[in-house]
Amino acid sequence: METEIKGHPSFSHIHMKLGPGESIIAESGAMASMDVGIDLRSKMNGGFFKGLMIKFFGKESFFLSKFTNKSERPASIVFTQSVPGDIYEHKLESKKDELYIQPGAFLCRTKGVKVKLRWAGLKSWLGGEGLFRMKISGKGTCWISCFGSILKRQITGDHLIDTGHLMAYPPNMKIKLQLAGGIFSSLFGGEGFVMRIEGEGEVLIQSRSIDGMAGWLNPLL
Amino acid sequence: MDIEINYRPSQTAAKIKLNQAEGFYAEGGSMIAMSGGVDIETSTHQKNKGGLFSGIKRMLAGENFFLNQYKAKSGGGEVWLAPTLPGDMCHFQLEGQKVVVQSGSFVMCDQNVSLNVGWQGFKNAFSGEGLFWLNLEGKGDVVFNSFGYIYEIDVTDEYIVDSGHIVAFEETLDFKISKAGSSWVHSILGGEGLVCRFQGRGKLWCQSHNSSSFGHTLGPKLRPRPA
Repeated sequence: METEIKGHPSFSHIHMKLGPGESIIAESGAMASMDVGIDLRSKMNGGFFKGLMIKFFGKESFFLSKFTNKSERPASIVFTQSVPGDIYEHKLESKKDELYIQPGAFLCRTKGVKVKLRWAGLKSWLGGEGLFRMKISGKGTCWISCFGSILKRQITGDHLIDTGHLMAYPPNMKIKLQLAGGIFSSLFGGEGFVMRIEGEGEVLIQSRSIDGMAGWLNPLL
Repeated sequence: MDIEINYRPSQTAAKIKLNQAEGFYAEGGSMIAMSGGVDIETSTHQKNKGGLFSGIKRMLAGENFFLNQYKAKSGGGEVWLAPTLPGDMCHFQLEGQKVVVQSGSFVMCDQNVSLNVGWQGFKNAFSGEGLFWLNLEGKGDVVFNSFGYIYEIDVTDEYIVDSGHIVAFEETLDFKISKAGSSWVHSILGGEGLVCRFQGRGKLWCQSHNSSSFGHTLGPKLRPRPA
């Protein structure tokens, strides 16, 4: 399998070449175009109830699409996301590569990768990141979609991230909700609540938030 | 004529350098800057071709009612064009063949290229694009735009494009509305639904993103307009 992400960072999309028999699993509706040699099978996202949970709490599709190259030669396929932004490729080799990602961020994965719904807690919900988070584990490659560009930060100790911008973090890190500064700067500085992330690991931050954009657009409509 | 596409892929602007007596047609409202020495003439149709009706037809195709003709005077000049939405633009040289452009994606064409509204049949209603498309034919430069990155595919046999991702294609290609993969049920449950299956030999331009699916993501977060 060969992959290339083109259109960095605002219109990223994945060009993928599947060898004969190779397959890839994507959220529904992610395919933009493909060779005719590739066949599509849809399946429920981890069974009926799990699928429903993932749809409502994980903001992912109820069905997943599995694309398999049924032809004898390499076939190409293009995956995309609905918002303009970057795509991050995450390789999983062992348990230390496991990652929590935001609801709605999953784009596609290779066969060995598992995506599961995990409770994130009220703190995460108040912070605008949802009651649940998705955990990716297993072996293979997973692609995550973001709104805006991706900032990668290696953190030791702690770090503050504005709500709605935290995309992914390793499971050993803890998140907390707090005020950005004192009462005054939190209320009038435009930051309000922020997430405090503690521990050691690599964190992905998206440069734009869709709620931020909607908030800006609303008074103009 | 010298065309340069700058700031790809998200904030694209096209710089068009004109020599004396060279000229082109562009969609009304797409000019962002120009030098002196270029004349603009606004009309509903191309010179010696059609009349008011061509403007109406073009409106049906999702373009502007008016077409501007830019023509360089003796010293030549420079015109900058850009579409309204963030996105990509693509420059292509017509060598006598015919290209079909999705409604709304047309930016400009050389004055020697003829511009017509075409009818591809009712299948267009299912293609995720407009009902009427533009046919460009002749010899000269053509520029089109999209929401998203434009990638080119050389179709040699068959190729599938999801609805809403077509920008333009050479007329040697034909498409039909079909399913993704071998089963209707899986195609619909898999969220792909109807796709366009291209057949033949020729160039095809696709857009990586799609303004309507961005609208579906953003839309629910917007408040209804106060009555």
